[in-house]
Amino acid sequence: MKILYVLFSFFIILNYGLLQTGFIRRITARVGKRIGVPFYQPYIDLVKNYAIRSQFSHGVMFYLGPVFRLSGGIGIFLFMPLIYGNEMFSNFSMSGDLILILYFMFIGMLGMALGAGEGGHPYSIIGITRGLSQFTTIEVPMTLAVISIAAQYQTLSISEIVAAQQGGFMNWTIMTNPLATAAAMLAFLGMIGYAPFNVVNAPQENPLGPPTEFHGTFLGMLQTNRVILHVIESILFMNLFFGGATNWLALIVKAFIIYFYAVFIGTVFPRFRIDQSIKWFLFIPTILGILAVIFIS
Amino acid sequence: MVGPIYIIAIALGTAFSLGFFKNANRNISFSLMFLAMAFLTFISGQWLYAFLTQQQETIQIFTAGFKPPFSISLQMGFHEAVFLTMINSLGLLSAIYLFDHLREKGVNMMMVFMLLFMGLNVVVMTRDIFNLFVFLEISSIALVGLIILEKKQDAISSGFKYLIASGVISGILLIGIVATYYYSGSLYINDLISANLSLVKGGSVAVFLIMIAVILELKPFPANGWALDVYQSVNAGIGPIISGGIATASLFILYKLLPIGGDAWLLPIGITGVISFLGSNFLGIKQKSSNRILAYSSISQVGLLMIIMSLSTSLGDKFEFVFFSVLISQYLAKAGLFWIAGIINKDEIDDWNILKKSPGLIVLVGIFMFTLLGLPPFPAFYGKWELIMNLSQSGNFVWVGIILLGSLFEAIYLLRWFGKILIKQDNLEDLKIKFHKLIPVIFVSFAILLFSYLTAKWSGLIGIKYYIPFIIALLIFAFDFLPVFIKNIAAISTVAWYSYVLIYQTYIPENDILRIVFGSIFLIGAIIMLIPGFTFKGKRQGFYPLVILMFSGLAGLIEARTTFQFFFAWEIMTLASYLLIIRGKNAVKPSFNYILFSMAGAFTMFAGFGLAFAETGSISLNALADVLVYANWAYALIAIGFLVKIAAFGVHIWLPSSYAEADDDVTSMISAILIKSGVFGLIILMLSMSLKNAVSPNIPYVLGWIGAIGALIGNMMAIYQEDVKKLIAYSSIGIMGYILFALSMMSHMGWLTAFTYSIVHFLYKGLLFLAIAGVIYRTQTRNIYEMGGLIKRMPLSFISVLIGIITLAGMPPLAGFAGKWMFYNAVIMKGWYLQGAIVFFSGIVAFLYCFKLIHNIFLGPLKDNHRKLKEASIWWLIPQFILIIGIMVISVYPKIVVEPIGQYLSMYFPNDGLVWDGTTASTRLGYWDATKIMTVFAGMFGVLFIILYSMSRKTQLVEQFNIVFQGERPERPETTHYAHNMYAPYNKALGFLTAPFITSAWKFVYESIHSISDQVRKFYTGNGQTYAMHIIIYVVVFYLFINGGF
Repeated sequence: MKILYVLFSFFIILNYGLLQTGFIRRITARVGKRIGVPFYQPYIDLVKNYAIRSQFSHGVMFYLGPVFRLSGGIGIFLFMPLIYGNEMFSNFSMSGDLILILYFMFIGMLGMALGAGEGGHPYSIIGITRGLSQFTTIEVPMTLAVISIAAQYQTLSISEIVAAQQGGFMNWTIMTNPLATAAAMLAFLGMIGYAPFNVVNAPQENPLGPPTEFHGTFLGMLQTNRVILHVIESILFMNLFFGGATNWLALIVKAFIIYFYAVFIGTVFPRFRIDQSIKWFLFIPTILGILAVIFIS
Repeated sequence: MVGPIYIIAIALGTAFSLGFFKNANRNISFSLMFLAMAFLTFISGQWLYAFLTQQQETIQIFTAGFKPPFSISLQMGFHEAVFLTMINSLGLLSAIYLFDHLREKGVNMMMVFMLLFMGLNVVVMTRDIFNLFVFLEISSIALVGLIILEKKQDAISSGFKYLIASGVISGILLIGIVATYYYSGSLYINDLISANLSLVKGGSVAVFLIMIAVILELKPFPANGWALDVYQSVNAGIGPIISGGIATASLFILYKLLPIGGDAWLLPIGITGVISFLGSNFLGIKQKSSNRILAYSSISQVGLLMIIMSLSTSLGDKFEFVFFSVLISQYLAKAGLFWIAGIINKDEIDDWNILKKSPGLIVLVGIFMFTLLGLPPFPAFYGKWELIMNLSQSGNFVWVGIILLGSLFEAIYLLRWFGKILIKQDNLEDLKIKFHKLIPVIFVSFAILLFSYLTAKWSGLIGIKYYIPFIIALLIFAFDFLPVFIKNIAAISTVAWYSYVLIYQTYIPENDILRIVFGSIFLIGAIIMLIPGFTFKGKRQGFYPLVILMFSGLAGLIEARTTFQFFFAWEIMTLASYLLIIRGKNAVKPSFNYILFSMAGAFTMFAGFGLAFAETGSISLNALADVLVYANWAYALIAIGFLVKIAAFGVHIWLPSSYAEADDDVTSMISAILIKSGVFGLIILMLSMSLKNAVSPNIPYVLGWIGAIGALIGNMMAIYQEDVKKLIAYSSIGIMGYILFALSMMSHMGWLTAFTYSIVHFLYKGLLFLAIAGVIYRTQTRNIYEMGGLIKRMPLSFISVLIGIITLAGMPPLAGFAGKWMFYNAVIMKGWYLQGAIVFFSGIVAFLYCFKLIHNIFLGPLKDNHRKLKEASIWWLIPQFILIIGIMVISVYPKIVVEPIGQYLSMYFPNDGLVWDGTTASTRLGYWDATKIMTVFAGMFGVLFIILYSMSRKTQLVEQFNIVFQGERPERPETTHYAHNMYAPYNKALGFLTAPFITSAWKFVYESIHSISDQVRKFYTGNGQTYAMHIIIYVVVFYLFINGGF
């Protein structure tokens, strides 16, 4: 029974993620004075990729890489409580807490990197280096923020953190612990990976990074992961800082706003080089995080 | 029994009658001299035997039929017998050693040789002070005769300097004797003692002159340039006579005449000793000549003996033990080294690697040097232990510091010398060894071993059990000619048997979780890490005795119940691991760093144990808990010793290169197993001391920061390494930082984390090093840029590394995550948020090098020369898969390990533990169900894999050489490895964190010591007049000091 609910939630999240991706692509195109793709373009891409016949592989790890990556994304989803107070939509969150979610993010990173590594394309390693380097520093303000709110609520359970924020928006973490929220929300920009932190993917100018190597079904899996991950990360931040959600509508609205904030900044700002973004994450967001920790203790 | 008077008669008679054999066959004259020397040894030995076994009384011999003061009297007591036996047997061995030299130089030399020993014998026995003076002169002149008869220019000049200096000293002594006679009316020493001359006005000057002359005879630093030059220029066979014969006799003079000066002289003698000990050892650092090093070492040891003598009253009934264990060690080892120096006949220590031609001699040199350094199981170790304990107990902490500092200086030059011997070099000349020169060397080495046993027994500090490992090691050494395969089986079965006895039979019934956990890491770990030994071919000489010693040292730590046993095991383990590391190809320098840091750490630990003993009067480990007044100091000092071993931040610089340069399987042993000894030590220390309120909470707080910074820096450094072994080595520094941090939290969850980390680190670090070793063994390189794409060639090693790094990075669902999860809980409960954040950040940084490790070796393009590489040998893979099974069991079902540890810790930290409900573990903060997580993950992973596989069955496989390649530049291949300079932006942003400022700081310390030592030794000009001047200045300064002129 549990598994059916989990699959149902997964279906919602996946479709919502695909639609969201499509809409965001259209919005960013309009900002750039282009018309943009239709909102259902992500569906077309996905189906096309899964259906491609001619494929190349470089070995076992090339297979395992995308599997790891998607396992990481779905893993975060599986251990995340979605709707507060609803046992049906809390997934497997009773088996692991916030720490588990934080560390699950690594699995995807590792898988992606390993798979691309076996491809042996020099561009992959450039992308991986950039991605891993930036990711480690994003985690610094994020960790500080997590420590701060865990100390604030004296729990590491996401459900309990959400529970503590119930009863009006004045109880949300963004009001009760603005410093931690600020640090985490800056880290969020890096996690989602729009400008100014998108040199990792470098989507337009040069074909860097693992997506160059993967194609067909492999790329399909990576795309699936991407849409899920963006949504589920928004939900994580919603749970931690914005009072969680008591129904699906609240979840979608809140998640969209959180996600859109990253998109908004991404369309406005230019891009950092990696060493700049490393320094940036270790400067303002980290100071905010340290202040959040000092403030709470 | 033969009366002692015959010693004089025979020696004198032989010396004179040798004159008749001037033109006869020199074999006859040599035989005569040899027989006489043997008889002298026999007489003194016989008396010693009588004193030891038959309760012989001290006897007085009156010459010329009168009683003193009207005649000269000789005394034969226990002490005289010991000293005479030492001196005469040295003479006998020297005669053997100098066999061809004496025959070549002729009868004249034999005569002075005989006269010298006669003089020394009388000096020891006589109770008449003028008689003493006369025979001292005879000995000095005989020695100068020996030197001058060498007929070498520098020998003659140094002999002349010696004559000037000893002339000045004799003058002082003679004036003293005259003055003494004036005030007391007797020359009989017993009369002089009872006359209490110091109290008489003017008499004190007489006493001063006698005492200062005796002190000068001991060649105290810095008025000893003349003696140093003699040591350096004489034949190597004479060196032991000066250091073992004359110095020993001079010490006895001091011992005999000390009562004349009375207790007032104890402190000045002690201070003289301290200056000699510290100064000579300090100047020894910069020396390159082997004889000169031995000279400095001799003088420093005499200084140490003077210190001991000055403490005779406070040492009480331990005095004899301390004094003789140090004296005899120094006497035997120094003689051995001088003789070996003569065999090699090379003065520069850089040339000593000629010994590589003769490994047996290297073993002997090792024995002698470690004896000099007072390492276990050699005699001086016990003596130094009692000395330090006693000094601490009487509150002389400054002296403890000085003695340990001096010992460290001594360790620097002796061990550097030892390292030079082991430097590999091609085209060494052949070493011609004459058999008669080898006999005395072997004899003294056996004497050392025998004496070690006797001292240990005499000390009563350790039981017979502690010799078993040495016996096993000796046995394996005796069967060293057997092939590796057999010896490896023997070693594994020994360790297996021992772990059965220790863990299964002893600690499991006692349910002593701490010792079960660490005993298993040490011993079961040892079995696993010995398996790769089967890949080695040939004999691997000397490896197995050391391995056995190292693991027995580790087992000894587990078993230790007293601080002495702990320290003993600690030193054995350190020494054996040093010798194992130094076997690596370029390991001489790194292992020198290792042993130096370890020795310094061991000495601070020693001082800490001394402090604990000073307060509690007990050497039991449990008594550490009762230390209150000195608690902070003792705690900090002992902790430093452990911090060095776990390479905590600040004292970590020894680790990376030692790990990198050791043999591959040795690296696995030390990194996975040995390093945990520091953790074990810290746990023992913290359990007994930190839990009491006596220790300031600031110390664990500081330790926590050290751990956190170590974790960050270690991991940061690891990212940029191009040497695979160094990469993992730096990662060890990082992980040890976590463990230190976790321990210093002093909470239930913190300690649970530390225990879990220790176990898991053992598993994955062993796994990684073994897997990498297997790869290195095949690729024959440690450079990461010379590897790549090995996944197809070595898939099993790849799996090992993959599992190893996932565990290291702490990713769920493997066991590493357990540690991370507990860590978060512990940090938040403790409230150490900022340090905690640093540790977490470093955990994330670990991810970078983990990926680099697996990627650059196994993924990417394959190197052309690795096309035909095979999978690592099965002997490397078996232990890896044992470790993987261990990781998997803990990953799926961590409860079996974590729950008992938690119960054990509840005894000490009853609050805030882990609560188990089925497979779910929870704290008051969070929860975690490893089994379920694993199930969910495995299910999901499987489903996704099947989906992917079924949708991409027609995939075409691309061969490894069918992809993009970069051009590679052979002269600097790393620059064109396509993943070279990985994480460059990271370095650009955060590189300042990894600037080697700690290394530079230590380098600065090291170089300052060297250059100061270099400057100070210019004080010895080599000019005889200057040396005489030194003596006079020394006397004046001494006088002013004694009489309060300063």
